[in-house]
Amino acid sequence: MGKFILSLLLAGFAVGAARAETGAAESSLTLRGFGTLGLARSSSDHAEFVRDLSQLVGIKGGQWSGRIDSVLGLQANWEATPEIELVGQMVSRLHYDRSHNPELMWAFAKWEPDPRLTFRGGRIGADFMMLADSRLVGYSYLTVRPPTDFFGPLFFSHFDGADVSGTLPLGGGLVRGKLFAGKTQEKSAGTLGVWDTSGSPVGGLVLDYVTGPWNVRLNSARIRFAADMNVSALTTLLRANGGDAAADSLLTEGRTSRYLSLGVVYDHGPLLLQGMLNRIRHDSAAFQDSRTGYLLAAYRVGSVTPFIGVSRWKSQPHENLPVVVPGWLDEEYQRFVAGSKIDRTTYSLGARWDFRHHMALKFQLDAVRASPDTAFSFANVQPAWNGKTNVLTLTLDFVF
Amino acid sequence: MRFLLPWFIACLLLLSPAAHAELVLVTSPQSGIERLTQDEVVNIYLGRYRRLASGLAAEPLDHPIDSEVRARFYRRLVGKSLAEINAYWARLVFSGKTKPPQAVANAEGLLRIVATQPGTLAYVERSQADARVKIVFEFGD
Repeated sequence: MGKFILSLLLAGFAVGAARAETGAAESSLTLRGFGTLGLARSSSDHAEFVRDLSQLVGIKGGQWSGRIDSVLGLQANWEATPEIELVGQMVSRLHYDRSHNPELMWAFAKWEPDPRLTFRGGRIGADFMMLADSRLVGYSYLTVRPPTDFFGPLFFSHFDGADVSGTLPLGGGLVRGKLFAGKTQEKSAGTLGVWDTSGSPVGGLVLDYVTGPWNVRLNSARIRFAADMNVSALTTLLRANGGDAAADSLLTEGRTSRYLSLGVVYDHGPLLLQGMLNRIRHDSAAFQDSRTGYLLAAYRVGSVTPFIGVSRWKSQPHENLPVVVPGWLDEEYQRFVAGSKIDRTTYSLGARWDFRHHMALKFQLDAVRASPDTAFSFANVQPAWNGKTNVLTLTLDFVF
Repeated sequence: MRFLLPWFIACLLLLSPAAHAELVLVTSPQSGIERLTQDEVVNIYLGRYRRLASGLAAEPLDHPIDSEVRARFYRRLVGKSLAEINAYWARLVFSGKTKPPQAVANAEGLLRIVATQPGTLAYVERSQADARVKIVFEFGD
């Protein structure tokens, strides 16, 4: 489907470009781009700090690296008519396979029959962030990256499908609602190797209320995984020992994960306050359920905006897991299900400097404090890992 | 020295608050609206809701990115610097959601468009708003 959409869009842009050259007033083609040059270092030698769970490698050992935050994106918008627009976006960033190969992030057609109603179809952004569909446009937000404790588990950035959104004035403010459905086309990677979640149905609802400086958002989404992770070594062993229930609990194919979040933003003059909470529940015992949250406070002084933040990510073990009879195998099973345990808090301090139009420099210091048995959410964890690392990041963010 | 006096007075006038006359929002008399509230203007200019009470689609227009008028307008409207407004638009544009207001080179260009295209809106100095357009919002309302 991705290839089909891409060729459709390329054809559309070719036509659009041709028309733009002839100066036809009724259509217009716009090319834009965004990017981040990021340098970060993490103090610990014993685990690698990653931006989110889609990254198989991160940074460690006090060495400066540009791999986790650097991004380059290009976007073309072709406004075919005042109501119909085609949008395509290619992005190069660190992938599950350690490459920076360009990826088709978005390719959709948008139909806006009325300012109150928008339909989109194609490859569209998964709307997890409080204020935007994309977490990759560093220039558009304050921190060097969206808080890892909150957005780390949300490794999906797009899906192939459709959404419809409507906006209505209500009580002096605006209510916006959005329904979306489709299938994911992404992979992630971890200690079990690559997990291809392509073709997993996703769907959800986003409700926003905006009034004056306040914005409140409720987001509910679910995904039913289309594939199992590479757990057959353990499940085969479990089944051979009569542990069918335990083996089944580790499967992800056909199992649902549910996401619920609530966010509040207060943005008035130089002051910005932002807070979000989320809860993720997994049917599969391969992942522990989790709750996360963050708070961010910033106050702009001239062209510099200092900020402080705190975020927390904590998992809860599944209850009533089956008991496996040979004790040693039960230990293996318990060790596996505890592998996705997370208990971490991050304290952040930083500043953004808008030194010229469409460019910003940022620095941020993150003190990550996790329990020593929090291995999930970090990469290449060594036995000596004590759960503590300090991450210093410098970025240059731009749009053009 | 006498010939310097008019220049001196002109400079004083330029520096005085009167030179920073109040901005007003204008539209075509054919747009079918009388007044807009500040919240409605915010919704239109920040791309949240671009529909006029008359049912027409609202199309806001901007001054060029480097202009002092533009900086003054957003500071007055939402208390934001242009850098913050730019970041805000990056958020929406790279979400494929909505478009920022189209920029036009000068006040006369803005007035020409607004006068002839119902639904378009522009902010200009009060002294520039002539009979071709209708004032629908003034700060301090």
